[in-house]
Amino acid sequence: MNLIWRPVYRSYRFFSWLRYWAQRRFTRAGWFVLAGLLMTTIMGLDTQNLVAYQVFPLLLCLLLLAFGFSRFFRLNYSATRRLPRFGTSGRPFTYCLTVRNLAATVQNDLTLLEDLADTRPAFPQWLARQRAVEKSTRSLRLSRRQRPNPVRLAVIKPVPLPAIQPHQEVEVRIEITPLRRGILQFNGVTLARTDPLGLFRALAQTPLPQTVLILPKRYLLPPIALPGVMKYQEGGVALASNVGQSEEFVALRDYRRGDPLRHIHWRSWAKTGRPIVKEFEDEFFVRHALVLDTFSEQPFSEAFEEAVSVAASFACTLQTQESLLDLLFVGAEAYCFTAGRGLAHADQMLEILASVQVCSAKPFQTLEGLVLNHANVVSGCICVLLAWDEPRRRLVERLKASGVPVLVVVVVPAAPDPPLEPGPMRDDPARFHTLVAGQVEQGLMKL
Amino acid sequence: MKTPPWLLAAGLLFWGWQSGFLTEGAAMAVILESSRFIKVRWELSDDDIARIWTFCTLLFLGVAVFAFTNNSGPGNFAQLFATPSVNAERIAGNSSALTAVALIRWLPMVFFLFIAAQVFSPRKGIALESISFFMRRRQQQARKSGQPLPSSRQVNISYPYFVTCLLAASSHPAENNTFFWGLSALLAWALWSQRSRRFGLMIWAGALGMVILSGYFGQRGIGELARLAEEYNPQWLAHFINPRTDPRETRTDIGHIGQLKLSGKIVIRLKPETGAAVPAYLREASYRVYRSPSWFAGSSKDDFTGVSEEPLNSGSWPLLPGKTNTAVVNIACYLNGINLQDRNPEGLLPLPVDCGQLRHLPAYILQKNSAGAMLAEGPGLVIFDADFGSGWTIDSPPGLGSPPSANEDLAVPDVEKPVLDQVISQLHVAGQSDEQKRLAVDRFFGTNFKYSLWQEKPQSANTNETPLGRFLLNTRSGHCEYFATATVLLLRELHIPARYATGYAVHETSGHGYVVRLRDAHAWCLVWNNRDGVWQNFDTTPATWIAEEAKRASPLQFLSDFWSWLQFQFAKVRWGQSHLQSYVLWTLAPPLGFFLYLIVLRTSRRRHRQQTAEPPDLSHWPGLDSEFYQLERKLAERGVARQPSELLSGWLSRALAAPALADLRGPLQELLQLHYRYRFDPRGLCAPDRETLNREAKACLDRLTRAN
Repeated sequence: MNLIWRPVYRSYRFFSWLRYWAQRRFTRAGWFVLAGLLMTTIMGLDTQNLVAYQVFPLLLCLLLLAFGFSRFFRLNYSATRRLPRFGTSGRPFTYCLTVRNLAATVQNDLTLLEDLADTRPAFPQWLARQRAVEKSTRSLRLSRRQRPNPVRLAVIKPVPLPAIQPHQEVEVRIEITPLRRGILQFNGVTLARTDPLGLFRALAQTPLPQTVLILPKRYLLPPIALPGVMKYQEGGVALASNVGQSEEFVALRDYRRGDPLRHIHWRSWAKTGRPIVKEFEDEFFVRHALVLDTFSEQPFSEAFEEAVSVAASFACTLQTQESLLDLLFVGAEAYCFTAGRGLAHADQMLEILASVQVCSAKPFQTLEGLVLNHANVVSGCICVLLAWDEPRRRLVERLKASGVPVLVVVVVPAAPDPPLEPGPMRDDPARFHTLVAGQVEQGLMKL
Repeated sequence: MKTPPWLLAAGLLFWGWQSGFLTEGAAMAVILESSRFIKVRWELSDDDIARIWTFCTLLFLGVAVFAFTNNSGPGNFAQLFATPSVNAERIAGNSSALTAVALIRWLPMVFFLFIAAQVFSPRKGIALESISFFMRRRQQQARKSGQPLPSSRQVNISYPYFVTCLLAASSHPAENNTFFWGLSALLAWALWSQRSRRFGLMIWAGALGMVILSGYFGQRGIGELARLAEEYNPQWLAHFINPRTDPRETRTDIGHIGQLKLSGKIVIRLKPETGAAVPAYLREASYRVYRSPSWFAGSSKDDFTGVSEEPLNSGSWPLLPGKTNTAVVNIACYLNGINLQDRNPEGLLPLPVDCGQLRHLPAYILQKNSAGAMLAEGPGLVIFDADFGSGWTIDSPPGLGSPPSANEDLAVPDVEKPVLDQVISQLHVAGQSDEQKRLAVDRFFGTNFKYSLWQEKPQSANTNETPLGRFLLNTRSGHCEYFATATVLLLRELHIPARYATGYAVHETSGHGYVVRLRDAHAWCLVWNNRDGVWQNFDTTPATWIAEEAKRASPLQFLSDFWSWLQFQFAKVRWGQSHLQSYVLWTLAPPLGFFLYLIVLRTSRRRHRQQTAEPPDLSHWPGLDSEFYQLERKLAERGVARQPSELLSGWLSRALAAPALADLRGPLQELLQLHYRYRFDPRGLCAPDRETLNREAKACLDRLTRAN
């Protein structure tokens, strides 16, 4: 099978490179000349009826000359970029870039292009994506769905630079629109100069590697009254606070397996010769679990991206001054991150969500085990799911059976027909919501 | 990206000049560039632009259909599918190429409304949603479902239109270098605004000059190459692409083993004049020299001479001036070949042998050769009247034109002579007249032979027996080519001049006329009547051949006949043999007009409806409900109407000038003050004053009514 797919992958690499190269190299006038050249190549075949064959050599010479000019361009310069730490997917932000002319001549009519890292997938990832796309493609059916391009991470328009005097620098503001969450990596900066006719750009590159973390898109959520009651938290406030903060000492006792090491009372151990630990007043407070389903067959699923955005919206919106929020998901392994009551902030949870990837190596039961292990300490649970199949229904059912109130949000790629059957949530349908990718904001307003 | 000033006009003028639409191009250029002086702009919404785009697209499709029809596309393609051949493919390809050329040439006119919409609207560009159906649908869906609208991108179409003009200007054959220099100048103009300011003017000019010079020599080189290729092309291809009846040579199926397959397709339609006779045979060509298995025109091969149309452009072509014709038949046939030089349809006309004149023939060129072939160049379908009657024919007399050493009309291949002599010995015609010899030959074939489309494989392959000898001595069955060839050679061996004729037999009636199918193709003999000095048809093929052929007809022939009729009707329209073609373009007018009506009038009506549907918002215009306006109307009824620019106070003093209204002056002046306050004072009127205005105005109204 790879014998077939390998050449296809190579052609994908080649044509994507060609497109990238042409977009950077040709000016708009150059595109017109190139289009004219292609048209006259076809029309020029009929030399008897059409005089278009006379246009062809003219346009070809234009492009050849422009290409020839691009061979003789050297530029000595340095650049400094000042990037913010974070950006948000879909929201443009600006940053500053300073270019210093190290040459002894004035540099004018230059254009600045940013060099982003090559994010084209390796063959295995590309193949997995192709197969997933094929599986979801409906044969001979009209579709209004737009497949997002997972390779394109951001949009940065070329920025014209003002004239730079010798050994001077200029600062420009660049607007960038991140298209996807994750780490956006800059490799360098390119200064471009067009040929005298303004058709083709010559490039001078300089490395300037930097990164910026693009957080997932967030939606505005209405005030949410999460279900659940305060629960006893073993370890008390210490779990939810940094060391040295207010905690009420109750007594000393013998060490029990599982006690944190920082609770050991060293003096008593020295006196008695056996480990003694400090005991604190037990705490009761609200703790919610935010369960993110990462099990999707498609490595670049738009529904998954929306699910991450929904989870990020919950993480940002929930008031965590007086409560805890556990983010549970499965990636390379099962993860649980806790925020709230000073333990961690929503920002950190967003950073984690910015890097969440689809899990295809593990079964859904991994997440089920993780969630059910936490079920006894959480007051309520928000499940952001990617499907509403039997394993997921069973998870919700078992959570409910263990007495945990559940809010279920199912993110689907297209509106299901008929609507999803609430199943285990039929006794509480108000807490079962289906969100369609692309219309999530409207759906969330109904929560 | 917007074009520099006047560049669009220059592009349009260049297009008009090159494509022969100079007036149209100049008018369009003036209209577009007048937008620089006319400041009034037409507000067009995205929906309006989308409608104009749809209109232009429909116009484009209509023009495409017209160009395709006008260049004989449907008929040529129908012919390609019906009888696929290299020639038909070439003709169909030629139609497509001409259609494309015409379409490209008209593009600036077709999309003029679209560019005008951009130029005369306040907008800087056209939203892509207006052009793309899918993007428009997506936007409508988003609007309907309340989702945020996808980001809209505006595109200035002036440069694409300019490029379209240049391409359209190139849609004509190269005659001189004016196109190249004009194009270079326009390109330089267009590139001037795009140049890099980093380089000096000299470098820019030098670079462009180098490009133009290289381009000039490049296009010269391409032109020379194309010309070289074309010189070799026609001769080389001519051997492969010309399957029509060739007046110089015909290859028979004599010696062909097995079943001959013949088509039932209708190729000729005849309609005799009321009461007139119908010719039994329609000849296409005659041949003089036989070299098995082919017949050749011999010395008649290259002696085509032109036939004059008299009077000019009358459609009347006298073939034998002075001959008395006794019957008229209307013939409709196709010219299936193509003239390699003129690229016009060309073909041999199927005519009665004794045809003396052609009338209403829309041919461009008509030629005849000494063997009676009539080569016409004209539209793909010709419908004409053939006047005929017994007597002279256009064929040359026997021996005329032949080399002095041999009379081609009496020549018999040596290899066939022994068999022919053997047959002649059985005829016992020695010393008899030519008439008796002809009868004997006719009797010989009529009694001993039968018609067959099937030829058995010969028993022994080692004999020197020729196919014709086998036919005459052994099998004694064959198709018309056997009979015609054997008859011609037998008559020649009996010293009677004869020629081999090919064409069609006419026997099948259809309505008030006759139809001739492809399977009615026939070969027969032309024999010289020495007594009358004329060539006469002499057919020895048993009459049963028609019935034999009819047996092979498909039971679904009526369907193919209907299809042939449809093709014929269409061909009539296409080749201008009916008056419908002139109305084809006009049929586009109603739908296009209707669409234009929808664009222009419906939009304005909708706007009008919106305006009338929305009640005026009086909250922004305080005082409009003042009762003083009623007083104004009442006074106006007395004949003192207020001018639009007249102040109320001035008008009031004018209106109350009449003595009868003298007692109203005081109250009305007070009311005017109240009205002004109510109308323009930001604080408005307090409730008592408002009440006073209302009450006093009504009182004045009553008094005015009484005064009337």
